[in-house]
Amino acid sequence: MPIRAKIAAFLGAAAAFALLPLFQPPAFYESLLYLVFFWVALATSWAILSGFSGYFSFGHGAFYGAGVYTTAAVASRFDIPLVLTWLASGLVASLLGIAIGAVIFRLRRLRGELFALLTLAVTFVIATIVLNTRIDGGPGVFLSGVKLPDIFGRQSSTIYLLGVVIAFASLATAWFVQYSRLGRGLFAISDDEDVAEVMGVPTYRYKLMALGLSCFLAGVAGGIHAVFVTYVTISETFSVVVPVSVVLMSVLGGARHWLGPALGAAFITLLNYAFVGGEWAVIGRAIIGAILILVILFLPHGIAGFVAQRWRRLRPAAVSEPPASSGARPPIAAPTAVPKPAQGGVLLRCEDVQLAFRGVRALAGVTLDVRQGEILGIVGPNGSGKSTLVNAISGYYRPDAGRILFGGTNLVTLPAHRIAELGLARTYQIPRPCQRLTVTENVALAGMFGAAALDRPAALSEARHWLDFVGLGERAASLPAQLNLHQRKFLELARALASRPRLVMLDEVLSGLTPTEIAGAVALIREIRQQGATVIFIEHNMRAVLELTERLVVLNYGQVIAEGLPRDVVRQPDVIKAYLGTAHV
Amino acid sequence: MPSATLLGQSILSGLFIGGLYALMGLGLSLAWGYLKLINLAHLAFAFLAAYVTYQFVGYAGLSPPVALLIVVPAFFLLGVALQALYTRFAVGEFASLLVTFGIAVIVESLIQYFWTADFRKLQIEHGTASLRIGTLFVPVIEALMLLVAAALSLATWAWLRFTYLGKAMRASAENPEIAAAFGIDPRRLALLMSGIGTAYAGVAGVFIALTSTLFPAQIFAWVGVVFAVVILGGLGNPLGVLAAGLAIGVSESVTMAVTEPTWAPLVAFTLLILVLILRPGRI
Amino acid sequence: MTQATTQRWLGLARIAAATALAAVVGAGQADAQSGQPIRIGSTLALTGPLAATSQVHKIAGEIYVEQLNKSGGLLGRPVEWVLKDDQSKPDLARTLYEQLITADKVDLLMGPYATGAILSAMSVAQRYNKVLVHHTFGIPSMAKYEMHFPAWALGPTPEATFPNQLFDALAASPKPPKTIAIVTSKFPSVHFLSVGARDVAKKRGLQEVLWLEWEFGNRDFGPIAARVKDAKPDALWIGAIGLEGVMLLEAAKKIDYEPPVHFHLYPAPGPTAKAPEAKNALAATIFEQHAPFTNNPVAANFVKEFNDRAAKAGLPDNSVEVQAAASYTAWQILTAAVNGTKSLDDKAMGAWLKANRVDAIIGKLRFDGPSNYGDDLMKIKQLQDGKWNVVWPKEYAAPGASLKTP
Repeated sequence: MPIRAKIAAFLGAAAAFALLPLFQPPAFYESLLYLVFFWVALATSWAILSGFSGYFSFGHGAFYGAGVYTTAAVASRFDIPLVLTWLASGLVASLLGIAIGAVIFRLRRLRGELFALLTLAVTFVIATIVLNTRIDGGPGVFLSGVKLPDIFGRQSSTIYLLGVVIAFASLATAWFVQYSRLGRGLFAISDDEDVAEVMGVPTYRYKLMALGLSCFLAGVAGGIHAVFVTYVTISETFSVVVPVSVVLMSVLGGARHWLGPALGAAFITLLNYAFVGGEWAVIGRAIIGAILILVILFLPHGIAGFVAQRWRRLRPAAVSEPPASSGARPPIAAPTAVPKPAQGGVLLRCEDVQLAFRGVRALAGVTLDVRQGEILGIVGPNGSGKSTLVNAISGYYRPDAGRILFGGTNLVTLPAHRIAELGLARTYQIPRPCQRLTVTENVALAGMFGAAALDRPAALSEARHWLDFVGLGERAASLPAQLNLHQRKFLELARALASRPRLVMLDEVLSGLTPTEIAGAVALIREIRQQGATVIFIEHNMRAVLELTERLVVLNYGQVIAEGLPRDVVRQPDVIKAYLGTAHV
Repeated sequence: MPSATLLGQSILSGLFIGGLYALMGLGLSLAWGYLKLINLAHLAFAFLAAYVTYQFVGYAGLSPPVALLIVVPAFFLLGVALQALYTRFAVGEFASLLVTFGIAVIVESLIQYFWTADFRKLQIEHGTASLRIGTLFVPVIEALMLLVAAALSLATWAWLRFTYLGKAMRASAENPEIAAAFGIDPRRLALLMSGIGTAYAGVAGVFIALTSTLFPAQIFAWVGVVFAVVILGGLGNPLGVLAAGLAIGVSESVTMAVTEPTWAPLVAFTLLILVLILRPGRI
Repeated sequence: MTQATTQRWLGLARIAAATALAAVVGAGQADAQSGQPIRIGSTLALTGPLAATSQVHKIAGEIYVEQLNKSGGLLGRPVEWVLKDDQSKPDLARTLYEQLITADKVDLLMGPYATGAILSAMSVAQRYNKVLVHHTFGIPSMAKYEMHFPAWALGPTPEATFPNQLFDALAASPKPPKTIAIVTSKFPSVHFLSVGARDVAKKRGLQEVLWLEWEFGNRDFGPIAARVKDAKPDALWIGAIGLEGVMLLEAAKKIDYEPPVHFHLYPAPGPTAKAPEAKNALAATIFEQHAPFTNNPVAANFVKEFNDRAAKAGLPDNSVEVQAAASYTAWQILTAAVNGTKSLDDKAMGAWLKANRVDAIIGKLRFDGPSNYGDDLMKIKQLQDGKWNVVWPKEYAAPGASLKTP
């Protein structure tokens, strides 16, 4: 379906739901659907951070609760329009989230279950504060004086419409985010945050933005719900029900798709509702449990995952590349976009770069220049600091001392994504593609961030160009796991190139490849240089090094022990000793 | 300022409740760490075991140790059977949330069906007996529970660290293929691990029956704090679970002794947050 | 296995069979009744955290409706109770009451269980101008709707009347307390009463030696017990709901402390009665199954029925006290209004209830005070030899029972 039709369908659905009250159904249907929409909003808002970026929050109840209590506190004391209190709810929740995220997200180690734990702990802390201050204080807040306007003549219609609005606003946000630069970045974060950052994704800012959006929507939903329940208490608001439910709903529906959590929310809410008959209550609960088990056993990837699978199976053509876009198009502008520089000027300069890990000096004062347009080889025995140097240049590690100048900018103090934006790209010795993104998406990601910073359509066509260039055009729709090692290495290469870098650092691209594959790769690398990029080529394969590089730097024990023309360098006794003495004897 | 006796008594109280947290969290931590299974049903099993103990001791007249001897193997088998199911359907980390939540809901309904939603309390002789040490009183059953929690944590830690099976288990958690190199079928290891973890839920259940009043909805009331203990302790780290349980228990109870008890969660969890943010590792 | 448990197994089999049958027969039997029953709709928290008490209300309601139908129903029509499970969730309670009114179109409403759900139901009733009689609503000042009618006669200001009642009882005892410790859960319907008790104690010259609050759901009562022990009060007010009081007493016992006089706000009656530590505990009630309450034949009959049914349902505690009695009373209020007005018109019923007294098993009720509350009918009971006996006011005391103080 073309995007316009999709948007039309989305708006149509929203309008259809919004017009339902015109038919004056019994108020109960509005109330029940409101509950569905309320959970849709909560689950969807949760997924914007947690589903997309993989940062599973167990603290959605805290942000929802902040929204509930903001509206409760404001509406029970002041006579201001409810819409404003809901906005306030969203803002309070959002600010709270951003304040917490600003601390937590700075710490690289607080991922996975530790993030879940922190957000859970935050819930307890906030609940305790609300309980012990005038926000609630213990008796609960009763919003009896708060009157909603009657739209279509009925209260239940008003609250229903509010549900429609917050649910569709959440869905629209999630949808937009999923395909925006933010969403692409979040998906990359969920697969490999370090790689994402090095590719140019401003991971810290993106996580904060996602958390802020997520909390805002949860806060507004909480504010509306406070008016719906009219009597707000700590134990209800901050119970484990909200965080557990949103996780379950999202997982059931499929947390990595904007529509998934909504499907899960609707399913679980209606399922819970299916057994409210007095005679069946207890057995009904057991049946609900059994249904949940069966559904997830047979749909392990959630409803959205299942639908997507079916979709792919039904329409295999939709998966492979649309032929129109790749064949007839004129060659991509990328090669020309990188101006071929005059060879000779210094592009990158490392000055006495030092880095130690727990006392072990990995880089003991590395000083070297990379000249514009050259292929600089870096060799050295295992553990000599080659990869560490790449990590330091790309910003993954911050050196303890020294400067790294790239076109005059000192990279040492910059976060990795800023470095990528300046035009540095790298590959990983062991390929680290985003496992749950297709080959095309992987490469397009690099094009959307990094130096290229293309919009999504442009990045997609850029991706196709580079995939063709490295010979992966036919695997565009595959997942990385379906590629062999050689193909994954080339995927790394395509990804590095798609960001239109001025400097590419190739970390042992050739290792593990067959001689034929190596020959192909060497030709490719030449080609890359031809197109104007500067290349740092780190390699063990001496033959390839001698064949490709114009200058060679030898590292040993974190220091440069030799530098110069390749043929000369390899004859130096120090180099022979370092190399043969440690690596090959 | 509280008196030394009050403070001492409160710390003891915190140690005991912390021991219970650890006992409840131990199996959860093992399953999450080694089987990649987030077992929301774990607490449901613990309470199921508590109700079974209640039935055995309160109605069938068995003594608590005998009940333990029946409950533990039965729950071991339950764990094995469930793991077989999870393996058969290749249940992943996130799918396990839903599956085990479903199981928890079913167990809750079964408990309510058989034992009603009303409160159940096992009255045993000397249930509130205490030893007097100086000015402090040490309740016997709670002390025993803490000892069992500590012993199980230590034993599990030693098992994982020093025995061949344990090492294979750890290797298999990191890479199933390596476990195969030990000549051990990772699937059978998983069955064993799940059995052990669920048996621990059984042990916890026996002590819950001896120390608390039971009602079905409790299953979900403990989820938050026990999950916090498990994660703080480090997944699959039995000693960590014990330390985390005691830390949270004691910080809560000391807060209750020195200030308004309502602030207890704030202090305990603020401490937890600070530890996570300021310290590089876990407990 | 107990007999009740065996019956559960049989029941499970029966339900399985019934499910299969229902699947075959389908839902086509809805209109098959004769004589146009009067349908009374309500929810109860049949599952979830509040289920323990809700099942008492379910049994009480079933008994009442059955008795009513046996004696000819209402206005000559049979009565049908449409009961739904709100899963202990106030938001679901709201939706279900809307369903009862707008989709099921029941004739009358009955309240749900617990304060939160009742407030939800009340706001729905208010929007549709329905009379709402409810059983155990705990915070009178929050009930703002002019057609709500509480069966639980707390009076409009229990936070004052109620502690006074207790302190009157204590003052009349051989050894009146001089100091008091007030500890309380921050549970909404409990906390305001404890705060009130504080004020009343101060006014009456009782010295407060300790004031503590804990979060509802607190698991560790050791430190709280230790602090009470340190404070050495003559009397202890435990603003607790459900099990909290027993947990506190057990924790106290473990550190070798027994509070001299201890009052529990809303203890779970069964488990409290069985706990040896709870000996001589005082608590609040509106009804206990002994004379003079059971002098009323209706009450006596209900007590007998309820004891039977509760035992059959496998409840560990089958006696009638606050919850069951309030539940039965609520049904009495509703029927009194229907019979008094000879109609199902909510406006008429509401007006009638405000103008008349209703004779219920918990006493004569009136609804003409502030927020439709009448008198505070709460009494003080004490756990004596494993039985709850009312001890104050004296005219309601169980035969031969009087307040025991150490």
